[in-house]
Amino acid sequence: MIEFKDVVKSFTSGAIKTEVLKGVSFKVNKGEFVSIMAPSGTGKTTLLNILGCLMKTTSGSYLFEDRDIETMNDDQLSEIRNKKIGFVFQTFNLLEKTSALDNVLLPLVYSDIYPADASQKAVRLLEAVGLKERIHYKPNELSGGQQQRVAIARALINDPAVILADEPTGNLDSASAKEIMEIFKSLHSQGRTIVVVTHDNNIARQAKRAIFLKDGKVEREEVLR
Amino acid sequence: MKIFRIVGVSLGAVSKHKMRTFLIVLAIVVGIATLTVIVALTQGANKTILQRINNFGPDAVMIKSGGGRVLGPATVSEANLTKKDIADIESTDGVKLVSPIQVSLDMPIKYGNKFTTSWVFGVESSWQDAWRRGASKGEFISDSDNEQLSKVCVIGQTAAKDLFGDANPIGEDVMIENVSFKVVGILKKVGQSPVGTDFDNLILIPFTTASRRLMNQPRYISMARTIVYRPSQVKAVSEKIREILRENHHLAATEEDDFTITSPEEITKMIKSTSRTLTLFLWLVGIISPLVGGIVLMNIMLMAVSERKREIGLRRAVGAKQKHIVFQFLAESLALTFSGGFFGVIIGFVIAMAFSFFGKPISISWQPFAVAFIFSSLIGLFFGIYPARKAASLDPASALSQK
Repeated sequence: MIEFKDVVKSFTSGAIKTEVLKGVSFKVNKGEFVSIMAPSGTGKTTLLNILGCLMKTTSGSYLFEDRDIETMNDDQLSEIRNKKIGFVFQTFNLLEKTSALDNVLLPLVYSDIYPADASQKAVRLLEAVGLKERIHYKPNELSGGQQQRVAIARALINDPAVILADEPTGNLDSASAKEIMEIFKSLHSQGRTIVVVTHDNNIARQAKRAIFLKDGKVEREEVLR
Repeated sequence: MKIFRIVGVSLGAVSKHKMRTFLIVLAIVVGIATLTVIVALTQGANKTILQRINNFGPDAVMIKSGGGRVLGPATVSEANLTKKDIADIESTDGVKLVSPIQVSLDMPIKYGNKFTTSWVFGVESSWQDAWRRGASKGEFISDSDNEQLSKVCVIGQTAAKDLFGDANPIGEDVMIENVSFKVVGILKKVGQSPVGTDFDNLILIPFTTASRRLMNQPRYISMARTIVYRPSQVKAVSEKIREILRENHHLAATEEDDFTITSPEEITKMIKSTSRTLTLFLWLVGIISPLVGGIVLMNIMLMAVSERKREIGLRRAVGAKQKHIVFQFLAESLALTFSGGFFGVIIGFVIAMAFSFFGKPISISWQPFAVAFIFSSLIGLFFGIYPARKAASLDPASALSQK
C-alpha cells in the first residue's frame, strides 16, 4: 500500500544543502501496524511529512496504493490527505474553542460528500474512544489523553486507508499513553493500517513490525510479534 | 454543499475571535458611516439645488441690465433696458410673455415703530404668470394700479412677519423710503431664490409707481423675465434675444454685451460650480475613510493569518485545498465588512438625521445602501484577498510545525 523507493529529501538554506533522508526504502502493506523508529533529529518529521503527502521528495519514488505521489498536484495531494490519510499528531492539533464533535467533523468540511449521518458517525467514534460524555467539551476542557482520543476519532471520520501517527504519546503521561496505544491496537485488530512514527523504543515495540531509521537511512527492520 | 460548510467555518471564526471582529467591524463602520453621511448630505444639497433651479423655472429667461452678471438682480441705478427692447422681445418667436421689473435692493421699510429692509420690485400684473407666484391673501398688483401709479404693495411673508408679526397687514400702510404704500395682498411663500437669498423678503409695487415715484428711473428698465412656450426653446430664444438687444444697444462686434441673459442651464452651471469643490472634498473624505477601514482589515487579517498558521496547517493536513483556505479567509473578510457596512449605514443614517434636525438638507434614499453594500464588498475583496492568499500559500508541513 505504501512503497518508499530510494527516497531522498534535502533542504537548501542559502548555500548550505542538508540531506535529511538519504535513500529510504520500505513498504507497508494493507492492514499492517508498523512503527518507524527514529531518534530525534534523524529526519523523522520529514519522513512523516512525505508519508502524509504534506511534502514531496527530492528524488526517489513514493507509491500510495500504487499511485505515484510525486506526479500529483496540490489539489490531488489534498484529496489524498482528505480521503486516505488520518493524521494523529503529537500535539493533538485540535481547533481551540471548538467542541470535540466539531473537531471530529473537521475533515468532512473538505470532503466532496457530506454523509447525512455525519454527526451520528462522529458521536459513535467519540463513544468508541471513550468520550461519550464529553462530545460537546472544548479542547481546553479535556485532558491530554482525552484530546488525543478526539484526534484519533477525527482521523477515523473519513475511513482512511492509513492512520499516520506522529509521536502520538509524546505529550502524554504513561497511563494515557498506554490507553492511546491500546486504541491503536484495537483499530489494528479491526483491520486498519497504522503507521506510528516515534523515537520511543517502548512505543515502537508495540507495533507488529518496526522500521529503524538511522542517519537518514533504514538501518534494519524487525518483526516484533 | 462544501461552500456552505466553509462559509460556516468562516462565520465560526468571526464569532470566536470577538476582539478582532469588533476592531475590524468598528473600522469599517466608521468608514461606511462617513460615506453614508456624505452621500445623504450631497444628495440633500443636490436636491436643494434642483429645487432652486425649479424655483427659477425651466421655461424662464432672465434679462438683466449690465454685462457679466449671472447671479443677483440688476437694480435701477444700472438699468439700461428700454421699452423698445421689451416690445421687441415680446414679438420674438417662441416668447409667451415678458414681464419687466424695476429693482431696488435693501430699501428701508417702516410700519409704525417697526423697521426692516427688503427688496422692492416694481412689477406689472404679468409678474404673476412670469414667476407662477401670486398673492396668497388679498390681491395682486393690477393693470389699473399700473395705469394710475397707485401706491399699493403686495408684501412677502418675511417682510410681513418682520413688520406685522402675526397681525394681518392687509389694509395697513407701510412707508417705503418715506413714501406711504397700502398693503393689498400677501405674496405666496417660495423660500430661497435661485441665488440663494430669501425670496420672501420682498415687496412688490406697481411698475409705473416704482419707475416714476419711488426709484426715479422713468426711462430704463432694470430687468425682464421672459417665459417661453416650451423649455426646449430656452436656448434658441435666449440667442435671439441676445441678437435683438445687441442690435438695439448698437453694440459693435468687438464689444461685450451690456446686458446679461440667464437661463436655467446657466443657473445650474453656476450653482454646481460653486458647490463642486466642496462636494469633491466630501467625496474624497467619504472614499478615503472606508479605505482606511480596509487597511485596518488587511492588517488585522494578516495578523490573524500568522496567528492561525497551525490551524491553517491542520486544515490543509485534513484535506483543505488552497482554494478552500482562500475562500475561508475571504469569506471571513467579507462577513466582517458586510456587518461593518450594515451597522455603518445605520449609524450613518442616524448621524444624517441629526444633521437634518439641525437644519442641513439631507436626502434619504436607496443609494447610500447600495454604495455601502458595494463599497464594503469591494473592501472585503480587495483588502481580504492578500491575507487569504497568504494563508493559502503557506507550506502545510511548516505551518503545522508552528508553535
